[in-house]
Amino acid sequence: MQSKWDIGEPEKPTINSETEQLKSELLTLNMGPQHPATHGVLRVEIWTDSEIVAHAIPHLGYLHRCMEKHAENLDYRGIIPFVDRLDYLASMSMEWGYVMAVEKMLGTEVPRRAELLRILTAELQRIASHLMAFGTYALDLGAFTPFLYAFEEREKILRLFEEVSGARLLYNYIWIGGVWNDWTDDQIARVSSFVDVMEQEAKKYHELVSLNKIFVERTSNVGVLTVEDCFTYGATGPVLRGSGYKWDLRKNKPYSLYSELEFDVPVGDGERGVVGDCWNRYIVRMREVVESIKIIRQVIDKLEPGPVMGKVPKIIKLPKGEVYVRSEAPRGEIGFHLVSEGNDSKTPYRLKVKSPCFTHTSMLPHMAPGQMVADFVASIGSIDIVLGEVDR
Amino acid sequence: MLNVDFNKLASLINANVQGANATVNNAEDAKFDSSITVEASKIFAVCEFLKTNKEMPFNSLQCISGVDWVEFMEVCYMVAHFDTTAPREFILKVKVTDRVAPTVDSVVKVWAAANYQEREVYDMFGIKFNNHPDMRRILCPDDWQGWPLRKDYVAQKDYNGMAVYPDNKMNFEDREFIVRQDMIKKAQLAASSN
Repeated sequence: MQSKWDIGEPEKPTINSETEQLKSELLTLNMGPQHPATHGVLRVEIWTDSEIVAHAIPHLGYLHRCMEKHAENLDYRGIIPFVDRLDYLASMSMEWGYVMAVEKMLGTEVPRRAELLRILTAELQRIASHLMAFGTYALDLGAFTPFLYAFEEREKILRLFEEVSGARLLYNYIWIGGVWNDWTDDQIARVSSFVDVMEQEAKKYHELVSLNKIFVERTSNVGVLTVEDCFTYGATGPVLRGSGYKWDLRKNKPYSLYSELEFDVPVGDGERGVVGDCWNRYIVRMREVVESIKIIRQVIDKLEPGPVMGKVPKIIKLPKGEVYVRSEAPRGEIGFHLVSEGNDSKTPYRLKVKSPCFTHTSMLPHMAPGQMVADFVASIGSIDIVLGEVDR
Repeated sequence: MLNVDFNKLASLINANVQGANATVNNAEDAKFDSSITVEASKIFAVCEFLKTNKEMPFNSLQCISGVDWVEFMEVCYMVAHFDTTAPREFILKVKVTDRVAPTVDSVVKVWAAANYQEREVYDMFGIKFNNHPDMRRILCPDDWQGWPLRKDYVAQKDYNGMAVYPDNKMNFEDREFIVRQDMIKKAQLAASSN
């Protein structure tokens, strides 16, 4: 079967030289592994024809910490802190995905208050993560101010998380069977006032950045991914929605209590540029912040006093079997393939993490050819990768 | 798993791909996921069929995972259909018994997602994918030795002059290492009998 996505060993691109005598050749440029625009330790080998990128080859693994091998030697509770360190900007979402896989095999019932608190933390985390994406993306494109605005609000979320879990970034807060700690009424009231402020701030960011002429010029019509590209590469999350496909696991395969909540799924609509370009992926994230605020308000209304921890055996042993559970993290769908061998084993036989950022990184060679080098930076920023999750 | 009638899908595959020999692995417990195992030699044809058929198409490959069961290795393809009206997903598996030079056909030509995913399986399990455009290690360094996620993996003693797992820093009497020693012996036995 002929496939237009058949990448790999590329054909040598031809060089546009005005005259035959002019000596010209492809220039190999190393971007990273310590480059501010690669959002971590990613090295991209770029072949350029003057300012045009002819081919890009990502080199991964600089942050490989053998998480999957470690997981085979740890008990089920002990893995949660390791899972935290996958996507360190959205630890709550990572924990929740893993915990759901274990709970599915264990058949644990999670108390209602714990489920609501999980949604609350996951959506706050989504806002924090998207604020980070917003700030660093503007930074990639040469605007410093939005970064400072974004960090001011993000810090408020982290402070709340620090109070309930004891850590700013790597929480170990969502446990098998529930959550570790209850939120006090005072903390809930602070969340409530925070989302009121955040709603106003989101409007401010919109005026400041989203419709800014320079920003739109830099991002619209750049790094276009069609829906078909997204499907064949397995892209999910804001990348798929930025390409105009209305798919969100929270809506299409509701887990936890999401089916009780009302919210929209924003998609790229080509208001600026074309559907599937960097601007549309960016705007999906900004609109998701508003939807998360809606969800948080509903959750706060539904909260009632109750236990936050279900009944879980002291030593968790799973019967023989396997599950593949995916959930909607800020950067896309995180999936956990958990295999247990039975035989009273206290550790998983195999834990595979399907990382959305790994999938999205594999799309870079598809996006790069024909772009200017500066546009390639905009493309990397728009898929919002975290290398902790790519390399695991 | 979601919206997949396993028996129907297995019979569809068997009817359309010659020699696929699709069998359903029913989970013992309803909580767990069932899967379908096909012949390793027919994986490309099966994937092509899954993507292009009209009755039950699957437009996306989520990830490829490997499991080393010591007697054999399993490659698990998490296949999904993104469709807001009828979303589907299931696990497709192939068995690889050769531990010395295992090979499976690549499905990059069907789903581009397989490119990096297959490279990761190669990196971790040493399973080579035929017709893959760029079969290199992806997470470990290119000159790393051994296949880390195999159960019989023993890390190399030194790497480019650097000590790996120096004795004075490791607690080899830890429970996990004892567990692993059993595995290593079992897997080495399986490899030598091949």
